[in-house]
Amino acid sequence: MNLKIPKHDINLEPFMVGPPDFNRQTVLMQTERGFKSEVVNIVKLTAIEKLFQIRISEPCERENFTFLPGQFVMLELPGCGEVPISISSSPSNREFIGLCIRKVGKVTGMLHRSEPGAMVGIRGPFGTYFPMQKMVGRNILLIAGGLGIAPLRSPIYWVNEHRSEYKDITILYGVKEPGQILFDYQFEEWRKIYDLNLLTIVQNPDENWKERVGLITDLFEDISIDPENTFAIVCGPPVMFKFICTYLANIGIPRQRMFISLERRMHCGMGKCCRCIVGSTFTCLDGPVFDYWTVMNLKEAI
Amino acid sequence: MLFKTITKENFKKMVEGLLEENEVIGPRSRDQDLGGNKIYRFLKINSFEELEMDYTRSYSSPKNYFLPFEEDLATYRLNDKDWEQEIRYTIHPRVIIGMRACDINALLKLDQVMLKSVYPNPYYFARRRNTLIIGLDHEPLEDCFCRSMNTDTVFHGFGLFLTDIGDRYFVAINSDTAYIILNQFDAREVTEEDQERYKTVKKQIESKFKTQVDITILPELMDLEFESEIWKKWGHKCLSCGSCAMVCPTCYCYGIEEDTNLTFTKATKRRFLYSCNLLDFAAVARGHNFRPDAHIRLKYRYYHKFRGFVEAFSQSLCVGCNRCGKACLAGISPKAVIDDLIKTEKK
Amino acid sequence: MKYLGITLERPKIGVFDFTGCEGCQLQIANKEEDLKDLFDLVEIVNFREISSDRREDYEIAFIDGCITTDSEVARLKKIRKQAGILVAMGACACLGGVNNLRSRFSLSDVIREVYDRHHINTGPVRKVADVVHVDIELPGCPISKPEFEWLVRHLVLGIEPQFPKYPVCVECKQRLNSCVLDMGLMCLGPVTRAGCNAVCPRNRLGCWGCRGPSEEANFESLIEILREKGFTEEHIAERVKFFNAFSGVLNSDR
Ligand SMILES: Cc1cc2nc3c(=O)[nH]c(=O)nc-3n(C[C@H](O)[C@H](O)[C@H](O)COP(=O)(O)OP(=O)(O)OC[C@H]3O[C@@H](n4cnc5c(N)ncnc54)[C@H](O)[C@@H]3O)c2cc1C
Ligand code: SF4
Ligand code: SF4
Ligand code: SF4
Ligand code: SF4
Ligand code: SF4
Ligand code: FES
Repeated sequence: MNLKIPKHDINLEPFMVGPPDFNRQTVLMQTERGFKSEVVNIVKLTAIEKLFQIRISEPCERENFTFLPGQFVMLELPGCGEVPISISSSPSNREFIGLCIRKVGKVTGMLHRSEPGAMVGIRGPFGTYFPMQKMVGRNILLIAGGLGIAPLRSPIYWVNEHRSEYKDITILYGVKEPGQILFDYQFEEWRKIYDLNLLTIVQNPDENWKERVGLITDLFEDISIDPENTFAIVCGPPVMFKFICTYLANIGIPRQRMFISLERRMHCGMGKCCRCIVGSTFTCLDGPVFDYWTVMNLKEAI
Repeated sequence: MLFKTITKENFKKMVEGLLEENEVIGPRSRDQDLGGNKIYRFLKINSFEELEMDYTRSYSSPKNYFLPFEEDLATYRLNDKDWEQEIRYTIHPRVIIGMRACDINALLKLDQVMLKSVYPNPYYFARRRNTLIIGLDHEPLEDCFCRSMNTDTVFHGFGLFLTDIGDRYFVAINSDTAYIILNQFDAREVTEEDQERYKTVKKQIESKFKTQVDITILPELMDLEFESEIWKKWGHKCLSCGSCAMVCPTCYCYGIEEDTNLTFTKATKRRFLYSCNLLDFAAVARGHNFRPDAHIRLKYRYYHKFRGFVEAFSQSLCVGCNRCGKACLAGISPKAVIDDLIKTEKK
Repeated sequence: MKYLGITLERPKIGVFDFTGCEGCQLQIANKEEDLKDLFDLVEIVNFREISSDRREDYEIAFIDGCITTDSEVARLKKIRKQAGILVAMGACACLGGVNNLRSRFSLSDVIREVYDRHHINTGPVRKVADVVHVDIELPGCPISKPEFEWLVRHLVLGIEPQFPKYPVCVECKQRLNSCVLDMGLMCLGPVTRAGCNAVCPRNRLGCWGCRGPSEEANFESLIEILREKGFTEEHIAERVKFFNAFSGVLNSDR
């Protein structure tokens, strides 16, 4: 008699060997295998934000890792936890990825205590991206509030690397206080070399502040927008993009040409844990980048 | 599909044979409720006698044999600043006897998410691949509404499926492994008489459905009644206790927690099943909660089941077993909530 | 010790007993073979159960028991002054606990009943938070050693611990227990903080609420349900007040 249920050991399957490629969504099976990476540099930006430059250790995994502006990774500190973080560096930089991280809780707090040389895990890239190809030949208006500048750095690098394909590029960047401004060391370069127009504004200025004072929407007074020919990318707290997108829609930019990045709780990045569902949409799969038309039609989005 | 029949005596021998070679899970009763009804659950059985083939409904669904309530996704060896990740998928061949059509249909729904969409899940895959399911027909209970959900019959996703036709079981066969096993116990070709008896039993089962839930326009209703007061009415009672999702055969969402040992030399990444009714399901850092109220969370439970999942996979994420309704101390059941929604719509 | 390249400080810890059964301290002290690992992680400078050291330079203080006497109040205030982090440990310290049962009777009756004619200086039962500010509450009656160690790891890492916000029912269902309410027994599981792995329902006892309320618990609904199930007001009140975890929940208290 033969009554033993045959054993199917998937540990031995071919799809279990070799580095995982998270871009091959439908065949990827090693869903939890992270790329071990070294924190090669940590740049302190403000009291609560640091830029972490992270390099995937294994050369073949590093070569395989490609992403598009707006995508995120799941960053893991073994034994501590795993969090979604937008990539804040250039897609063409194949040596390391930049993650700009605010210290808010367990994982981000531990990360802030780490030093260069620390080993972390990353899985990804995950999620949708800003459709840079669609914007070719047009003006781009990038609007950031606070930490929202972090995910915008990736499209900014992209634009610079493909500068001739785009027309006027404008960045509007607002924060509460001057001390919260991130990446000001790059502003010169963005203006001079990237040839883009950067305007900043703060709500509560200090004595050294020379630029505009007010809310980010006030900056619209200082620029002219050609609604027919402009795409907008907006990142920041939800209240902010609601105001901004409404304004932009009123001056005639189609809602499908405005892109925002949503934030939700995430535990997998792969459409499995359900924690990121907005209405009936998975932020990790169908987002985090959405066009504004879609967001308006999502229940509970804003 | 192939059909055969097996006498109950031979079925007993088959289970005893399976028990010798494999881990076998089946319905067993342990406690009784106030009304004197047995409370069943799917547990490991050690002898044929422990298996209760006349069971009614297990209090909790057998989904935990495919999606355990808790599971280590990865372990790590830590040393100073470096670490090594280790992942092993549990390969544990086993037999589950007595799953209902609704429970198997529930697995087929889970298959949609776990295997047939993006990022197929290897942990689930390993368990699904190594489990032989022997299903079992029964007469519906008063509150079963699987018929309305179109999950009262099942055509795949199992090895064998049994229907009691008196002194023998009428068996639908759906896998090679199951076929080989069955044939070692004098399974006989279906006779005309078997077929007649099978038809009679099936008719009998069909006539017993009492509870109906109208889901025709439910996905639209979920949007139309989004602001309805009925969510507050039920949400007010809801204990945000997650019992509904734990017993449900189709709820699958989870949380992740990582921890180390006391010497910081080992770490684990653990997944644990969660429920969208729990307070911090959608809470993010620094205290912001995207779903702060019980009634909003309750609404989203229904929204995922009867709207979100329909959009993604053209079917609801509910098989009509009413386990959630039975487990809910506050008396919140799909039938009651959906009837209410339909009523407000008619007004 | 290092973790992810970060050198971990070895905080100095004191464990102090007040009015209680010392069961929580025993939880820490038992299983001696694990104690070595604990000592590697923290320096225990003041803990009567396991060492004769009595140093006053602790950074983290664990308080076991509730506060009843004036001298206890003074001692607790002194500890609070020294400790950077103060942890109330166990149901007595967090809630008042079982000791609180005596608050139902007049204090003089209690003293007469228990101590007869001996003179005894005891005041009303107070939880630690009634007297000083508490940073962390480690629930349970008694506390569980794994949860204590989990908390210590958080303290060593300097991370705020997040206890489960959801109620006991989640764990109860995960253990495939039969719901004791279906079996005619009383249970406070739906409003009590999880983390004990539903030991009481597992053993066919209802939950008594020793871990305190779960966050944003829906007391009204549960009490309504208990009434519908035929439990008397006295029975409900007795259970709800047992650990003093749910003060102000019943109308009769207000
Ligand atoms: C697509 C996306 C991109 C993001 N990009 C950035 C970025 O570039 N820089 C940055 O500083 N932050 C970013 N965040 C927010 C960041 O993920 C949270 O701040 C982080 O998860 C907090 O984790 P914690 O453990 O430190 O906090 P805790 O409060 O201790 O959180 C515990 C757990 O809750 C979950 N969680 C809490 N808050 C969030 C949140 N806001 N979003 C998702 N999950 C959360 C996580 O699983 C986390 O492990 C992003 C979030 C999303 C969804
Ligand atoms: S209904 Fe809720 S608990 Fe069930 S799977 Fe969906 S999100 Fe999870
Ligand atoms: S929602 Fe309720 S009725 Fe539907 S499958 Fe889940 S437990 Fe069964
Ligand atoms: S619906 Fe019922 S079972 Fe589900 S969380 Fe609410 S009270 Fe608990
Ligand atoms: S026994 Fe208590 S804790 Fe368990 S499910 Fe029932 S009410 Fe909840
Ligand atoms: S079930 Fe309730 S009383 Fe029992 S240990 Fe858990 S919280 Fe305490
Ligand atoms: S993050 Fe898990 S489903 Fe989106």
